[in-house]
Amino acid sequence: MSVGIVVVSHSRALATAAVALAEEMLNGREVAIGVAAGLDETTFGTDAVAVKDAIEEADDPSGVVVLMDLGSAVLSAEMALELLEDDAARERVLLSPAPLVEGLVAAVVAAAGGATRDEVAAEAAQGLLGKTSQLGDVAAPEPEPEPEPKPSAGKDAEVTGTFTVGNAHGLHARPAARLVEAVAGLGATVTLRNLTTGAGPVPGDSMMWVSTLGAEHGHEVRVDASGPGAAEALAQLQALAAAGFGDEG
Amino acid sequence: MSVPDVRSWIDRFAELVHAERDRLTELDAAVGDADHGSNLDRGMKAAAAAAGELGDAAPGELLKKVGMTLVSTVGGASGPLYGTLFLRMGASLGEATDVDGPAFAAALRAGLVGVAARGKAEVGDKTLLDALTPAVDELDAVLAEGASLSEALGRASTAADAGRDATEPLVARKGRASYLGERSAGHQDPGATSVALLVAAAAQTL
Repeated sequence: MSVGIVVVSHSRALATAAVALAEEMLNGREVAIGVAAGLDETTFGTDAVAVKDAIEEADDPSGVVVLMDLGSAVLSAEMALELLEDDAARERVLLSPAPLVEGLVAAVVAAAGGATRDEVAAEAAQGLLGKTSQLGDVAAPEPEPEPEPKPSAGKDAEVTGTFTVGNAHGLHARPAARLVEAVAGLGATVTLRNLTTGAGPVPGDSMMWVSTLGAEHGHEVRVDASGPGAAEALAQLQALAAAGFGDEG
Repeated sequence: MSVPDVRSWIDRFAELVHAERDRLTELDAAVGDADHGSNLDRGMKAAAAAAGELGDAAPGELLKKVGMTLVSTVGGASGPLYGTLFLRMGASLGEATDVDGPAFAAALRAGLVGVAARGKAEVGDKTLLDALTPAVDELDAVLAEGASLSEALGRASTAADAGRDATEPLVARKGRASYLGERSAGHQDPGATSVALLVAAAAQTL
């Protein structure tokens, strides 16, 4: 199974909708997502006992990442850790400071791709990357250096190729999630760069980094793949691009 | 003190919170999100009811029940904070069926330490710690003089009230009120106000 995700929010409606949005990115794959939100359907509030139950529901040997909105959501999640009776289960849980909606989308895509708990948390923490790169530097923190070792212009790449983005709205969230899904299963190291704008290189297994390419309709994207399954990864990405990344837009 | 005493303390605190509900919410409206009175009233109603249903439990067990009920019914930050206070008190008292003054004071100290850790706050941050800390210190000091628990709690309650009043000029460094920065000064802290009621309830019942 994959890393489990827990959503803690003051509002049940918000949490339910955020989970539905994130699940849009999963293309039918399943990730265990526990929800602890609101005191009931309509009363805002957080409940540490409900958070503990949600952690137990989403628990997996590979770990659990908890995403929270603000204020008492954080206190309740910290208290939930204390309420867990199983010390080993507590050790598996990581509380993420990522923004709730963006972090959740990034986390479920990473979890569905088989990432480790710490990789899922790192991806969630990058949840603002796509927006900050799109909106420019205004009041935005500098994106952290990419986590993958930076291959210089395909020097170590075993396979290099390109695809053109045919989607009318470019590589937006859902197509980017499909791209990451295709890369994740193969074991190859894939980096991407937007040849049209010069953006990148970025790791192909990170939806948030892929979103920073700003790849719009008609842009040409270069793929450098190495390691096991490299040729297959390139072929899959080119096929996926030809099929519009499974998206109508 | 025994279980009926602890139950009276919880009931009295619930009554005081209910009576002061609008005042607590009003204080919270100035520096927070205007829900402290309603949240704590909802929680203490549920906690008093849960304590009432517990039958012959030991004081520690009863306080744990109160803590767990608050955690699930308050909704805001005072849920995990008051919840931690009561849970740590309960853990400190353990299985003891009859609790003397020093044991009660030690339990309240354990609760105080727990709340400070949960909220990552210290005295002067304009939180409930500003009333609870001087109260626990006074309780220890008066008990050490050989006074009765009842007398010590009376003086602890006076110390809590003074600590509560002293939060007014402070600039908040924790919680929602800290978003206001300097503008949080000039308002009495709602959490310090409610915790002073907790100590007052103890002085009236224990």
